Amino acid sequence: MQLSGLRYGSRLLQLVEFPVAEFLDGSATNQEIQQFLEKHKKLVVKPAFYGGVGKKGKAGLVRIVSTLQEALQAKRELFFAQHTYGNKTVTANGVTMEAFVPSDLEVYFSISSSTVRRGPVFTITPWGGVDIEALPPEKKAVIEIDPFTGINAFEITNALTDTGCPEAFISALTQHLPKLWDLYDGYGLTTIELNPIRVMRKGNHILPVACDVKASFDQDNPAWKRIGLPDDLFQTETTPFEADINELRTYQGQSDVLEMNPKGTIMPFMFGGGANSAGTEALGESAIFSSDFGGNPPYEKMYEISRIVFEHWYQQADMLLLIGGKANNTDIYVTFKGVFDALRDHVAKAGWKPLYVVIGRGGPNLVKGMFYAKDILDRLRMPYKVFGFDTSMILTLEYAKKIDQWWGAEGAAAYRRQMDKQARV
Amino acid sequence: MRQLKTRPFPYYVGLHSLEELVTKENRVCVMNILGSESRKVTPVSHEYSGGNVVAGVQYGRRGVLETKLGNIPVYRSIREVMDAGIAFDMGVVYIPPTGVLKAVSELVTHNEALKRIVIVTEKVPARDSRNIRALCQEAGVDVIGANCLGMANAWDRVRIGGSLGGDHPEETLVKGSIAIHSNSGNFTTTMAEYLRTAGFGISTVVSSGKDVYIHFALPEFLYAAQNDPRTKAVVIYVEPGGYYEKMALDWIKDRTFGFTKPIIACVTGRWKKNITRACGHAGALSGSGDDAESKERWFDAYFGVGEFDPKARIVSKRGVRVSSIQYIPDAVRAVYEKIDEAPDFPSTGDLSLKLWLGDNFVKVPAALDLPLVTPPAPYDQQVVEVNKQVGAHYLRQNMSRKSGASRMNRETQVSELHGKSVLELSQCTMEENLFFALGKVMPEKTDVPTLNLILNLFMKIDERRMELIDVARANGCTPNAYLASQIALVGDKDLLAKSRNHAKFIIDLIREFGLDERTKTFPPELDAFVASKLLGSEPSRRTDISELLFKEVRKSRKGCVALRVCQHIIDLAGKRGLEIRDTYEFLLATIAVCVLWNPMLEKRISRQMVEDSVAYFYLMARIVAYSVVDRANNPHWKKLVDQKLSNLNASFTENAFKVLFGRLPEGCDLMEFQTLMGLTVTNGPGTLSVMGAKESVSARNDISMAFVGFLANTGRAHGGNGFEAIEFLVEKFRETGLTDPGDPNHGLDLKAMANRAAREYGAYKQRVRETEESVVKPLPCVNHPVFKGNAINVDPREQYVAAQFKELGVYNAFWEFYHHLVQELYDEGVTRNVFCVNVDAVLAVITLKLVWKDLQAGRVTARQVQDLVFTLFLFGRSIGIAAEIADHRDRGTDMDCRTPESELTYVL
Repeated sequence: MQLSGLRYGSRLLQLVEFPVAEFLDGSATNQEIQQFLEKHKKLVVKPAFYGGVGKKGKAGLVRIVSTLQEALQAKRELFFAQHTYGNKTVTANGVTMEAFVPSDLEVYFSISSSTVRRGPVFTITPWGGVDIEALPPEKKAVIEIDPFTGINAFEITNALTDTGCPEAFISALTQHLPKLWDLYDGYGLTTIELNPIRVMRKGNHILPVACDVKASFDQDNPAWKRIGLPDDLFQTETTPFEADINELRTYQGQSDVLEMNPKGTIMPFMFGGGANSAGTEALGESAIFSSDFGGNPPYEKMYEISRIVFEHWYQQADMLLLIGGKANNTDIYVTFKGVFDALRDHVAKAGWKPLYVVIGRGGPNLVKGMFYAKDILDRLRMPYKVFGFDTSMILTLEYAKKIDQWWGAEGAAAYRRQMDKQARV
Repeated sequence: MRQLKTRPFPYYVGLHSLEELVTKENRVCVMNILGSESRKVTPVSHEYSGGNVVAGVQYGRRGVLETKLGNIPVYRSIREVMDAGIAFDMGVVYIPPTGVLKAVSELVTHNEALKRIVIVTEKVPARDSRNIRALCQEAGVDVIGANCLGMANAWDRVRIGGSLGGDHPEETLVKGSIAIHSNSGNFTTTMAEYLRTAGFGISTVVSSGKDVYIHFALPEFLYAAQNDPRTKAVVIYVEPGGYYEKMALDWIKDRTFGFTKPIIACVTGRWKKNITRACGHAGALSGSGDDAESKERWFDAYFGVGEFDPKARIVSKRGVRVSSIQYIPDAVRAVYEKIDEAPDFPSTGDLSLKLWLGDNFVKVPAALDLPLVTPPAPYDQQVVEVNKQVGAHYLRQNMSRKSGASRMNRETQVSELHGKSVLELSQCTMEENLFFALGKVMPEKTDVPTLNLILNLFMKIDERRMELIDVARANGCTPNAYLASQIALVGDKDLLAKSRNHAKFIIDLIREFGLDERTKTFPPELDAFVASKLLGSEPSRRTDISELLFKEVRKSRKGCVALRVCQHIIDLAGKRGLEIRDTYEFLLATIAVCVLWNPMLEKRISRQMVEDSVAYFYLMARIVAYSVVDRANNPHWKKLVDQKLSNLNASFTENAFKVLFGRLPEGCDLMEFQTLMGLTVTNGPGTLSVMGAKESVSARNDISMAFVGFLANTGRAHGGNGFEAIEFLVEKFRETGLTDPGDPNHGLDLKAMANRAAREYGAYKQRVRETEESVVKPLPCVNHPVFKGNAINVDPREQYVAAQFKELGVYNAFWEFYHHLVQELYDEGVTRNVFCVNVDAVLAVITLKLVWKDLQAGRVTARQVQDLVFTLFLFGRSIGIAAEIADHRDRGTDMDCRTPESELTYVL
């Protein structure tokens, strides 16, 4: 769960009264833009994206304009701008027009979880506005934060001094930056990045103003819900299938899914984080989704998960795959009963189709679970191959992939013909 | 920030060697010990470890956790544990995520002797995790987890925390020379199992968890492994996210600590670099520098060789990286050869594809074709045993206020049986609904005549029994009372007990001999078995009825293995000139097993249900047969219950109609009758009628007595509203000269009649209010506690049936009157909005229509109509009750319907 830009980022900063650049969103009228221009002389026009999207400046998606005509032109061009960063392409959903903040200093500041320091750290540089990774070590400081006391003013002072910040600006930054810890700690954030913070002179005062925000939230900490961000802000990150499954989410896990390839052919029920990681890798493009249903889900939950999976993917899939190592605690019989009861009920509702089932599993009540699957699949006349824990999980996955390819190419159609012929007889 | 530091680390680590991590001497206290997961896992850990759990905490509750080594005492807080003088040095946390930080704080605050905490809980917020780190670093306590399965020492057989090694840790965690550190709990066990198969055992295993913060991470693990004389090599499983591995390798390289033992590292999760949201492990979400490929590079650089290729088997003394855990045994073997070490014990197999179960439907290409193998012990024996089991299995539980059969759908307010609403059931016949109640699917068309046959057969009664019912009726007994008296006498009579045994025999035979639809010939062993157990030379009692069933079974062409086996048995008996013992019961069982075979194989219903099914058919038929209201004037009933083989092929619904109304159904009578039956099948598991049946099952009564429980729990209040409605309608229509309420051209001005009734009711209301004599009696069957408050209200159930009837062109004058009435009540200002006509009115208007002509002609009395209404309700509900009894017998426990003393109140 991530967000970027001032449209929603400003709401975060307002929670701790951190100064933020004034802005208009894409719905502003020409008159409002004109008045805004008259007040600030220049505007920075940026596309607004859902989620955490970086490197907009580098991609030429940030425009500085000084006339209404230029502003409208930029708005037109950026409103649905496409942006590729890393291997992801996203489409904008509007623009923000931010007041241009004249300043003598741009600061980068972030708080994040460091696995090196095994705790929270803040990173700061007075050489902001650029990629933090691109800066040499002497120009940036990474400081550990005591989670019980938060960020101390002296730590900001020292860090800015060490990294060459002009003395005149340190006091103002020392005053405002520690507030961001309260935001980070109190609202379930896992990262917050302000880049740039433009430090402006306002009469005799010096004021740091956030001109861009990136934040990510902890899925396991509900504190972010207190911020009052719109309900659908993070929903765009989830597909309808994921959203349906997420309804079942509890602190026990058991129902994590990630849609991988909606055109895939395998419905993989993976049990355990390891199976999820290794299994998804082995299946590649064939997997419709990645999942982790480990953690001993009760029957009702497993049935419900399976029901949703079949409702979304049964028609398109060629294979149902149940894969996991030798379970420690997950009752194989209970989970298999949930899956195959749901399959039986779905077939009764949606009609029969040639679905191949491959299972690789170990754990408590294994044989009972396997035979539960076998009995139902025999009734449904669905072909299956069942492996125990004495077969390598990865070999099972590779075998399942080969079966899936053959089944999709010719096996399923031939079997359907065979079944049709039998029905006629 | 000031904190404890233990050299060589810039933070606190409380051990020098892996030997110290988990020991025989450690004593454990488990937080949330009685939680659902711990309750199962902790006893196994305790028993495996020789009894190392000395106490547990369950907030607000004292008690014990039973184990084979004695009870573990449970206290309400850590302070109480300490006050009780119980010493422990290991804490295990099973508390839900929001309470984990507080639990850790409690452990650290109250126990200065604490050395380590294992946090099993998943989805601990990152904020709490960093606070736990800070707290425990300050207190000098190591943390393993969160979201982990703890740690185990295979040398001393100690397991602390979660369920590493599963229910039988001794099978997998075998003593040896490999230390495992794994981001995945499941893979910890799976890798140990793979290694065991290849001849390598375990020294110590740690399931580290894979949250953002790993508190017992690779650097300290490797440091401790180096100092552990038991450990010769380390196997690690790594996922993307975090720099723990880089730190460990950097510190080895810069000699922060020495490490000379080989590492076999498996890194997975390349695909995870494309995702922005965790799936599975919360911490397996990488940035730009800590994705799987980066981690692979760190290890390859450290090892000095590339990814392990099982053919080339190139490794270094420092170890090697494998692409998946299946290569770990090979890689370990190669590394051991390199460092001149031998495996810990002989290999017991490999990880090649071993097919345990496969189908016979599809021939796969030769390259993918695998032979079936026998699973290793003890699974081989389990396969033999489990393969004999058939049908659905349920976990036994307290079913006092629960049902796996019926429920009231909260959204629609319509009751459902096995997921079908009573509205759907109202379109089916009684025999179909009874089959559905038992089999959870509607019967196949070809089975319906068989169902009718068996139900009609069971209607054959000894007419002398009716004399007792006459006495009961003369004594003012209601229908439920005299029916209960007869049903109670059924007990578990020979017919039912023997049918059950035969059903059991048939099912056992099929499973023991591995027969199915594809079986072409029956083995001679089966014949010998059948001959010894079922056939004899004593002549069996033959009657016309058993001959009829005999023919029925012989001629059936149903493609069901149960039928074919039974036909084979009949042939076998014929060929050998022997008799089937208790032939009649055998034939009944054959029919019952055959019609319910498919739902049982589909695991919709239990085997017990199938074995009991003859009893349900029998009791349902008996209830109908004994229900006749005026037997002296009911020639149809006489024919149905006599011992002649007539009427056996008619629909059971039609026969039930004839028993109740004493006439042949005309026009849409049957359709209306079955609608009534369907609508009353269930009203959810909370009804008195269901409770009576369930409580009787809970007391371990026979099925017949459970039906008595149901009948005893019904009374005048049931169907009473419907009867009041009938009284109300009779009063309004008595003098109108209405001859056929089903004829729309009745010539009555129903609107005017309704207006008159509305005004009369308004005046009555006014009168009662003015005199304040009593509470206003509501008009029967209008308004509903849920379907109210709108300007115009409708009961969707009534609306549904009305629409069905309209579509079929079925008219009912009483029903139309009711619709006028609710409008007139509003128009006359008697009600503040247009009330709904509720579903009870449907029952009343249909019933009255069915008896109207007889009532007008004086052929039935008002009292008989009252009995009739009540009996109609009993018919419909008996069907639902059969489902509830079967469900409770499958899932419930003895005495589960008792009310705990704590929920009882003494009233002064």
